[in-house]
Amino acid sequence: MISLSNVSVVLGRKSIIKDANFNAQAGELTVIVGPNGSGKTTLMRALSGDLPFTGRITINGHSLGHLKPWQMAAMRAILPQSTLLSFPFTVREIVRLGLTSGRSGATHDVAENLPDEALALVDLAGFGGRFYQELSGGEQQRVQLARVLCQVWQPVLDGQPRFLFLDEPVSSLDIKHQLIIMQIARAFATRGGGVIAILHDLNLTSMYADRVVVMHEGSIDSVGTPAEVLTDDRILRVYECALKVGALPATHVPFVLPQSAVMSVRP
Amino acid sequence: MSESVLMRPVALRSGQGKTRPEGDRSFLAKGIIVVLGFALLATMLFSLAAGASDASVISVVSALVRGASSDGNVLSLRDSIIIWDIRLPRIILGAMIGASLAVSGAVMQGLFRNPLADPGIVGVSAGAGLGAVSVIVLGATVLAPFIATFSIFALPVAAFIGALVFTLILYGVATRRGQTSIATMLLAGIALGAMAMAYIGLLTFLADDRQLRDLTFWTLGSLAGSNWAKMAAAGPFIVLALLVSPFLGRGLNALALGEASASHLGIPVQRFKRVAIIVVAAAAGASVAVSGGIGFVGVVVPHLLRLVIGPDHRYLLPASALLGASLLLLADAVSRTIVAPSELPIGIVTAAVGAPFFLWILLRRRGIVDL
Repeated sequence: MISLSNVSVVLGRKSIIKDANFNAQAGELTVIVGPNGSGKTTLMRALSGDLPFTGRITINGHSLGHLKPWQMAAMRAILPQSTLLSFPFTVREIVRLGLTSGRSGATHDVAENLPDEALALVDLAGFGGRFYQELSGGEQQRVQLARVLCQVWQPVLDGQPRFLFLDEPVSSLDIKHQLIIMQIARAFATRGGGVIAILHDLNLTSMYADRVVVMHEGSIDSVGTPAEVLTDDRILRVYECALKVGALPATHVPFVLPQSAVMSVRP
Repeated sequence: MSESVLMRPVALRSGQGKTRPEGDRSFLAKGIIVVLGFALLATMLFSLAAGASDASVISVVSALVRGASSDGNVLSLRDSIIIWDIRLPRIILGAMIGASLAVSGAVMQGLFRNPLADPGIVGVSAGAGLGAVSVIVLGATVLAPFIATFSIFALPVAAFIGALVFTLILYGVATRRGQTSIATMLLAGIALGAMAMAYIGLLTFLADDRQLRDLTFWTLGSLAGSNWAKMAAAGPFIVLALLVSPFLGRGLNALALGEASASHLGIPVQRFKRVAIIVVAAAAGASVAVSGGIGFVGVVVPHLLRLVIGPDHRYLLPASALLGASLLLLADAVSRTIVAPSELPIGIVTAAVGAPFFLWILLRRRGIVDL
């Protein structure tokens, strides 16, 4: 479990996160939503150990401040929003960097093939020999996800759950790959790991989240299931936008919801 | 969306055929390292035999095998002195300097995540020169206690300190929140280089005739005057840097993703950067201390290798050491023979080849990244 109590972040003189409290359970997909500038990414960076904060963050009971980088690397992997490279690495070489900490959880034999397995999982089978810099933004994002998956390949290691932090994992993806990526996150949670993802798409959130954390102006507005949290008045208050939950458009307007995907499996 | 895409099972493919997966260049890289190792050996033998005096390869090899004892009539005393006291120290020192220049370049490029970073270009060598020139000119007066403390190591220690201080300043100026600006780095390098040159100019003005000769050799860069004593002084710094560098490979690879991601992968980034900076300063400082400013080896060698084996630093660093050593020995052979019986400072040779190459890298990158 990841637990935040009274977490605040101050950058310069500006208070970005004010007194955040919530728990993210193993086996669940926790989605952080909120308008631009509400502090989602800052909160994620504090969770990742990149920013100084006050209060207490624990991973499986260990306080973040007491963990060494390699100890944290064995407990959680983090997908950044985007990654620029200045050297001509191949896709496979990038994915292989996920094995840096050496705690993928796979046996030695399997670890050799892990980059290829991970690439297949994110629908990039056969891309191993391409140069990372030549790929589109969405493909690069999926390569990074494959790298991150290699780092915590087994969602549970030594009886302890591990975590994926995903900062807008589907922001530059087409609808098919949005579903694939969310399905991978879902499967990771089902197999006993924990996932914390920042999403902008409320429909995907409603479809996949076990628990939603709504952020508003640096504070946690509410935490709950999608049905509890996604209400008309909360969306109006937080997003300053009058939207009706569950309202259909006029009959002649086509609309496509991710929920309508024909899912042959729901792991 | 098909089931096969989403739920592809974790196949246990190991054991079924050992074909290399696409995009895995490690096998190629290991092969290239072996080839470069043999190439270096061959270059060293060739250099041992080549020169103003005409000791043949065969006699040289047998001299090495049998030793230069007087009982063998294979080598004359004159040849034996040429081989043992002039060429061999020069070749070993040349190989060590070539290796350390190339490795310091490769480490610096990984650290700054920038293929144009090179101790010679961004002013680190100028900082080392500043330290070394201070010792040459002020050694008898102001810096006498420093010389007394470090004896034969005074020159390399001073160069190391100069290189370290300049690297730290450069890093402080060019890097903000883990991102290095290419333009800021190059401009800061120009400013640091100009600063060092102004100070070196002042010291040149103060220098006496004997010191002036030392300084001229310095600014041009040369392996002439290599001897066992110089090697004893600079060797420990170079060997230490070369021995530590293979352990930087994993961290430099992770750093290519950015400092935050490297830390997420388990690299203790701050500590790692400190070690890397010390390696760069030791390698660049010691080589500048013995040979002066030999430019462009650090930028050309890693770049060539990245084209062939890719940027994986676990292989790039040892390969750079080997290729740097070979190329510097070849450049030295050229500098010794092209105007024989006199010789050209090697810095002129490396700059003549390296500077156009640097421009070519700039041209290639112009389309890809915004400088």
